[in-house]
Amino acid sequence: MASQKEVKSRIASIKNINKITRAMEMVAAARLRRSEQRIADLRPYSEGMRKLTRIASAHAGGLPRVPVLAERENVQRVGIVLVTADRGLAGAFNSNIIREGMRSADRVRGEGADPIFSVVGRKGVSAMTFRKQELSGEYVGFTDRPSFADARQIGEELVARYVDEQVDRVELIYNRFVSPLTQHVWRQTLLPLQQAEVVGEGAAAEEESEETQSGDGQSRSEWFFEPEAEELLARLIPEYVTISVYRALLESAASELGARMTAMRNAAENAEKINDKLTLEMNRARQAEITQQILEVVSGAEALS
Amino acid sequence: MAAEHMLDVEVLTPEGEVFNGEVRQLSTRTEVGEIGILANHAPVLGALLPTTLRLHVSDSETKRYAQSHGWLQVFDNTARVLVEEAVAPEDLDAGALKEQLSDAERRLSESEAGTAEWSRAVKDKQRAETFLRIAQG
Repeated sequence: MASQKEVKSRIASIKNINKITRAMEMVAAARLRRSEQRIADLRPYSEGMRKLTRIASAHAGGLPRVPVLAERENVQRVGIVLVTADRGLAGAFNSNIIREGMRSADRVRGEGADPIFSVVGRKGVSAMTFRKQELSGEYVGFTDRPSFADARQIGEELVARYVDEQVDRVELIYNRFVSPLTQHVWRQTLLPLQQAEVVGEGAAAEEESEETQSGDGQSRSEWFFEPEAEELLARLIPEYVTISVYRALLESAASELGARMTAMRNAAENAEKINDKLTLEMNRARQAEITQQILEVVSGAEALS
Repeated sequence: MAAEHMLDVEVLTPEGEVFNGEVRQLSTRTEVGEIGILANHAPVLGALLPTTLRLHVSDSETKRYAQSHGWLQVFDNTARVLVEEAVAPEDLDAGALKEQLSDAERRLSESEAGTAEWSRAVKDKQRAETFLRIAQG
């Protein structure tokens, strides 16, 4: 059995760990709320974009043929974008993404195409470098608080690569935020852009905005388009790529904080358990020492009498 | 619904709402040219270029924002401005903008005209130039 002194110092260090992990849990919880707010802040903007797009496409007679919507028949290179975090200590948050990324790469190779990785987050960059994967893009330093400018950089680089035919498809892999306790690894085809992404799902079409309806009801000449509806749409549609990337970054940031919160809570609870065990052990050691001392006194007295 | 001669305006960015209220006049710039919107304007859908967005809240008060590329929708006496950025001129960082401008110019000179990479650089240059001009007053 360990000596009292040893057990005491272990208890002290476990208590420290408990304090640190509790603090990290609380920091993550506070930042998670802000992070969720940022997801909510994006909604009015993306809804506004959808309305604009519906009005323009109603007047242009459908979506125009723009490069980002065009599906390629011969897929030779597939871009895989992994969204990880800059920091660890968040449970399986990062490793789940890496694992799904490697699996997707195998699937792409099975289709006879080459995977080309881009990675968001320091953890992902170092994991992929360790696996000796070549990276065509590295984006680090903002994963816990992504700005729209970060998303625009990533989105526009991907669109440029797709339009300039350096890649024939782009997949985005990220942790989707379900609740603070739950994240799901999500794979989304970013390019070619899916029609549903632009005009909204079937459900959204039912609650068509009054603007679109009365826009249709009015004579077409009443709307002024600057520039023409077709050209406006051609500019509008690539924006959806950036919005999708931004949403993925925001969801990933919230998921990261949620995962860290859970991981740190587990660590703190574990520290408490170990602390209980060690306290028991220390009490036993102390009791054993006392018993020993009494025995010595008693046997010493007996020897004298 | 806004009072007579007033126009409801919403300025939205992906990072949140910047302005929501009634104004006398909104002026900005579309790809076709400068545009001023008064109350009861006919429906408009426009692509916006970087410029100073002016919201004439009253005769004496005008709010100014540095506005990046975006979209304008005017319908039913409500103008919705969707822009990537709408920043108060005093919040602009001239130093950072200069860097962004030289970065955009470098990318412009390195890319082949007509590629997507090239048009991206053109757009970034346009934004940085305009914002820098606004920052310097």
